[in-house]
Amino acid sequence: MRYLFKKKEFGILAVIILMSVVLTMLNNVFIRPDNLIDVAKGNVVLCIMALGMLPVLISGGIDLSVSSTIAMCAVVGGKLLVNNGSNLFMMIAVCMLSGAGIGLFNGIVIAKMKIPPIVATLGTMSIVLGAVLFYTNGDWITNLPKWFGEFGMIKVLGLPVQVLFLIAAGAITWFLLKFTLIGRGVYAIGGNAVSAQRVGYNIEKIQICIYVYSGAMAGLASVMHTSIVQQVDPNTFTGMELNVIVAVVIGGASTMGGVGTVLGTYLGVALMAILKNGLVLAKVPTFWQKIVMGSIIVFAVSFDVINRKREQAKLERVDVEE
Amino acid sequence: MQQPFLEMNHISKQFPGALALNDVQFDIYPGEVHALVGENGAGKSTLIKVMSGVYRPDEKSSVKIQGKKVSFSGELDAIRQGIAVVYQDFSLFGNLTVEENIVISQMIEKKRHFLDWKHIKNKAIEALKTVGADISPSETLENLSIAKQQMVAIAAAVAQNAKMIILDEPTSALSGGEVDILFGIINRLKKKNIAIMFVSHKMDELFAISDRFTVLRDGEYISTCKKEEIDRDGLISLMVGRKVKIEKLANLEAKGPELLRIENFSKKGNFKDISFCLHQGEILGITGLVGAGRSELAQAIFGLNKPDSGAVYINGKREDIMGPWEAMEKGIVFVPEARQTQGLVQEKSIEQNIVLPILARYSNKLGLVNRKGMREAVSELMQKLDVRPHNPELLAMQLSGGNQQKVVLAKCIGTNASIFIVDEPTNGVDVGAKSEIYHILRELASSGAGILLISSELPEILSISDRILVMRKGRISGEFVNQNMTQEMIMDKAVVNK
Amino acid sequence: MLKKMKAKHANELILLVILVFVIILMGMLSPTRFFTWGNLATIAFQMPEFGLLAIGMMAVIITGGINLSITQVATLSGIASAFLLSGDFAAQNPVLGIIVSIAVGLIVSVFTGLFNGFFVAYVGVAAMLVTLGSMTLFEGIGLNMTKGGSIAGFPSAFSFIGNESILGIPVPMLIYLMMIVISYFMLERSNWGVKVYLTGCNEVATRFSGINTKRTLLKVYVFSSVLASIAGLVLISRYNSAKVDYGSSYMMQSVAAVVLGGTSINGGYGTVAGTVIAVAIIQVVSTGLNLFGLNRYLIDIIIGVVLIGVLAIRFFNKKWETAQLLKISQSDTKQSQCR
Repeated sequence: MRYLFKKKEFGILAVIILMSVVLTMLNNVFIRPDNLIDVAKGNVVLCIMALGMLPVLISGGIDLSVSSTIAMCAVVGGKLLVNNGSNLFMMIAVCMLSGAGIGLFNGIVIAKMKIPPIVATLGTMSIVLGAVLFYTNGDWITNLPKWFGEFGMIKVLGLPVQVLFLIAAGAITWFLLKFTLIGRGVYAIGGNAVSAQRVGYNIEKIQICIYVYSGAMAGLASVMHTSIVQQVDPNTFTGMELNVIVAVVIGGASTMGGVGTVLGTYLGVALMAILKNGLVLAKVPTFWQKIVMGSIIVFAVSFDVINRKREQAKLERVDVEE
Repeated sequence: MQQPFLEMNHISKQFPGALALNDVQFDIYPGEVHALVGENGAGKSTLIKVMSGVYRPDEKSSVKIQGKKVSFSGELDAIRQGIAVVYQDFSLFGNLTVEENIVISQMIEKKRHFLDWKHIKNKAIEALKTVGADISPSETLENLSIAKQQMVAIAAAVAQNAKMIILDEPTSALSGGEVDILFGIINRLKKKNIAIMFVSHKMDELFAISDRFTVLRDGEYISTCKKEEIDRDGLISLMVGRKVKIEKLANLEAKGPELLRIENFSKKGNFKDISFCLHQGEILGITGLVGAGRSELAQAIFGLNKPDSGAVYINGKREDIMGPWEAMEKGIVFVPEARQTQGLVQEKSIEQNIVLPILARYSNKLGLVNRKGMREAVSELMQKLDVRPHNPELLAMQLSGGNQQKVVLAKCIGTNASIFIVDEPTNGVDVGAKSEIYHILRELASSGAGILLISSELPEILSISDRILVMRKGRISGEFVNQNMTQEMIMDKAVVNK
Repeated sequence: MLKKMKAKHANELILLVILVFVIILMGMLSPTRFFTWGNLATIAFQMPEFGLLAIGMMAVIITGGINLSITQVATLSGIASAFLLSGDFAAQNPVLGIIVSIAVGLIVSVFTGLFNGFFVAYVGVAAMLVTLGSMTLFEGIGLNMTKGGSIAGFPSAFSFIGNESILGIPVPMLIYLMMIVISYFMLERSNWGVKVYLTGCNEVATRFSGINTKRTLLKVYVFSSVLASIAGLVLISRYNSAKVDYGSSYMMQSVAAVVLGGTSINGGYGTVAGTVIAVAIIQVVSTGLNLFGLNRYLIDIIIGVVLIGVLAIRFFNKKWETAQLLKISQSDTKQSQCR
C-alpha cells in the first residue's frame, strides 16, 4: 500500500482532489456532472495531443510542431467534408494519415540527420503553419455537412463521443507503451540511448515511430476539435504545443526523458483543466487567469524538482559505523 | 582434456595511427576464472571489444568457440554465441525495472513484439536465483545500490545464456563486503560451468579469485600462467616490463606549521567525528576501502558536501566554507576522481580549463580578458608540468589520461593554492605519467603546500605519504607515520571485521 | 595563421557567404525595389528588435537552456515604460519622463531575469519549463496592465528612439550596433563570458573549478532580459504604443536565428557574430520575399526549410570535422614522441 503512495501519480491525484474540494466550496456548480462533462469535452483535444506527446517526451525529445500539424489536419479534414461529403471513417483516416505524414518528416530529420528535436520540430512547425495559412489564406472553413454536426453531439452512456475517443486513445497508448517492444524501446532510449542501441533496439526506427504517432494523434485531435466547434479556424491552434507539453510534464513526464505514464498524462491534463475551469467559475478576471496559470506551472515543476533532489540526497552513501 | 570455450589466436587490431593489439592470444575454459591483466593502455579494452564483437580483428586472426571457427558480425552476434560483457557502467536502464533490465535483450532477440510480463518476471526471478541475488524484480533499477545494480547486470548476462561473462573492472565501485558477495556470485557461476574473464588491476583480488592470468603490455601478448606459477611481484613486473621499485618519496622531516585542521566533521550517512591536521610541506594520505567515506570527506572539505557539524581551521583561523568558490578563495583546491566529468571540461581547450579559476587575474577593470597574459601564464604552467602535446588550444579530450590529469593539476597550481585535495590522482594514468605526478605532488609539498592524498592504491599511499589516515565505515580507524609501514598494517585498519 | 583563423571562424564565414548570396538573390527578384534606400531603411529599422532578442536568446541557449519568455519580457518592460510615458508626469517633463520610464522598463526586466534565473539556477528546474511558466505569467501581468488593449499617448520626443536617424543611421540600428559590441565583449572577451560558456558545456566541472555557476547562470538570465527590454523599448517607440501581442512571433524566430548562427542547442558554443549574421539573413529573406510579393506565409515556409537545411548540412560537416580533429591530435602526439 505504501508503494502506491510513493507513486507520483498519487501526488497529482491528491492535488486534484484538493482543488476539487476547494472549488466546490467556492462554487458548487463545479461538481455538477454537466459541468464536469463539459470540462472533459473541452479538454479532449488537449488530452489526445498530450497522449501523442507523451512518448516523445519519454524518449527525451520534444515535438513543437503539433500545433501546426493539428491545424493542417483540421483544414484537410474540413475540406474533405465540405468538398467530398465523405464519411466519418474516411475523415478520421485521412486526418490521422496527414498528421502521421508530418510526423514521418519530423522523425526522419531527427533520426537520420541527427538534428535536435527542438530545432527540427521548430522548423517543421514554421513550414507546416506557413503552408496551411498560405493555402487557406487564414480563412475559416464553415458549412460542414449536417451529419458531422450530429456526430459531434452524440452521447453514449451520457458521455460525449469525443470523450470515448479519448478513452480509446489512452487505452491504445497505454497498450503500446507497456506491451509492445517499440513502446519499451521508447523508455529505453529515454533512459540511456547508448545502452538502448547496444541492447539491440533500432533507435532510428523507434524515433520515427514516436514522431509519426505524435502526428497521428494530432490528426485524431483535429477531428475531435472540428466535431466540437463545427468549423475550422487555422489560426486557433497557435501556441497549443506549449500547453500540451505543460500538461504532460505536470503529469509526471520529464523533459530529460525516461519517465511518464498515460495515467499521469490524464491527471496532468485534468489538473490543468480543473484549474482553468475553477478560475472561470470563481469569476477570476481573464487577465488574472494567465498570472495564476503561469505561477502554478512554475511552482508545480519546482516542487517536483525539489522533491526529486531531496530523495537523491537521502540515499545514504556510506554505511557509517555508529 | 577439456576443450576451451573460447580460443583466440593471432589477434591484431590496427587503428589509424596506432596498433592497439599485435598478435595477441587468449583462451578460456568453461568454469574458469581467467584474469586479463595489464596497465592502462595495454590493450585490455580493445581485446574485450574484439571478444564481444564490437571490433572485427584484422586478417590472420582466428577466433574459435568450442573448437569451431567463428567471426562476429556485431555485438548482438557475440551475445547470441554466448559471450556477454558487464561493462563498468553496467549499460543498464535506471528508469526501468530490474526484470525488464534482465530480460530486455532476450525480448529484442526473440523479436517478441508483444510482451508477456508474467513470463518476463519469471525469467528474471530465475536469473536472479542463479546469481544468488536477493533483489525484487519489480524494483526500479536506479533505486538500487551500485553493487545490486551490478548483480542485475550479471543476471542479465546469465539470462542471455552466456557461456562466458566478461567483467570489466567490476570492483572499482564496490565496498569490501560487496566485493566478497561478488566473488560469491562468481563462484556460483563457475559451478554452472560459465567461463569468467575478470579484468582488474587490483592485485589482491586477482590472486583471490583467478585461476589463470594473461598479461598484456603495450598491445603485445606477454604471457599466460596459472595462479600457482606466479607471485604478486612477478605479475607486476610482467605488466610493467621492468623491475618496479616503489620510489619512496615520503619526507618525514618536512612538517611545517599547521595549515589545515578539521575538527569533528560529521555528516549523516557520510562520515562521523573526523578530526585531523595537515601541515605545510606534508603529504597526508587518506586511504581505506571503497565506501569508507573518503571521497565524501574530501568533498565536504572542499565545500561540495556541507557537513552537519564540525569546524574547519585554515592557518589557525576558523572558516565557514559555503561552496567550492569559497574554498578556492581560501586556498583549497580539489582534483576530483572523475576526471572526465568533474575535473575537466572536455570539449573546451586546455587553456580555458587551466585558467578557469583564475580568470580574474587576467582581466582588466572592465572584466575583459588579457589574452596575451593568459596565454603566457598557461604556457608556463604547461611547460612546468610537461603537458604533452604543448598546444594550449587543443581540446582537453584530445589528451591522454596522464596529460589530462596534469592539466587538472596545472589548473590547481595556477591558483597558488596551499591545500591540495587529490582524489585518486593516478586513476587511469599510465606508469610513466604516474611517476611524474608523484614528483609533482612532492615538489608542491616541498614548496610549502599541504596535500591530502586520497587513494585506494596502497603502494601509492606508502610511496609518497608522510603520514597516513585510514578510514573505515565513515570514521578514522587508524593514524600512522609512514615509517616501516606495510600494506598489511593498513589493511588491518581498513577492513571491516565481521 | 590565416588558416587557423579560417578554421576557427569557418562558421561565420560560411554564414557571411550565405548572406551575400541571399542579398544578391533578393536583389535579383525585385531589382528596382530591393536596392533602394527606402528598403534598406525598412530593414535597418526592423532588424534591431529581432536581433536584440536573438542575442538575448543566444546567451541563454549557450548555457544549455532556452528562454521562452523573452518576447513577453520585452513587451512587459515596454508596457511598464508605456505606463509612465502615457502619464501626466511624462507629458509635463518629457525628457525626464522618458529617462525614468526607460529606467523603469529596465528594472522590470531585471526582475524578470532574476525570477527566471532563480528557478533555473537555484531551484534547478529545466529552463524550458520555467520560462514556459514565466512566459504565461508575464503575459498575464502585461494583460492586467493594458487590460487587453494598448497603451498610447507618449510624449512626441519618444518616437525619436524608434523612428529617427542620426547621421543617416536609424537610431534603433545604432542601439543595436552598440549592444552587439557590448554583448560581444561581455560574452566572448570577458571573464564572465568564459564562465558562461564553460558552465554551458559542463556545469559540474566548472563548479568544481571554483566558479559560482549559480550566480553566473542568474546573470545570464538577467542579461537576456535586459536585451529583451531594450528590444521592447525600440518596439514601443516604433509602434508608438504598447500592447501584449507585439513581437510575439519573434520568440521562435530568434531560436531559429540563434541555431542558424551556429550556436549549439545543447550549450557551450556560439558566437555573437554568427547570431547577428543569421538574423540578417532571415531579415533579408523575409523583407526581400515580401517585396517580391510572395505571400508572407510562404516566407515562413522558406525560413523553416532554410533552418532544417542548414542544420542538415552542418551535421554532415561536423562528421567530417571530427574525423579531422582526431587525425590532428594523433599527428601531434606522434611529434612529441620523437622529441
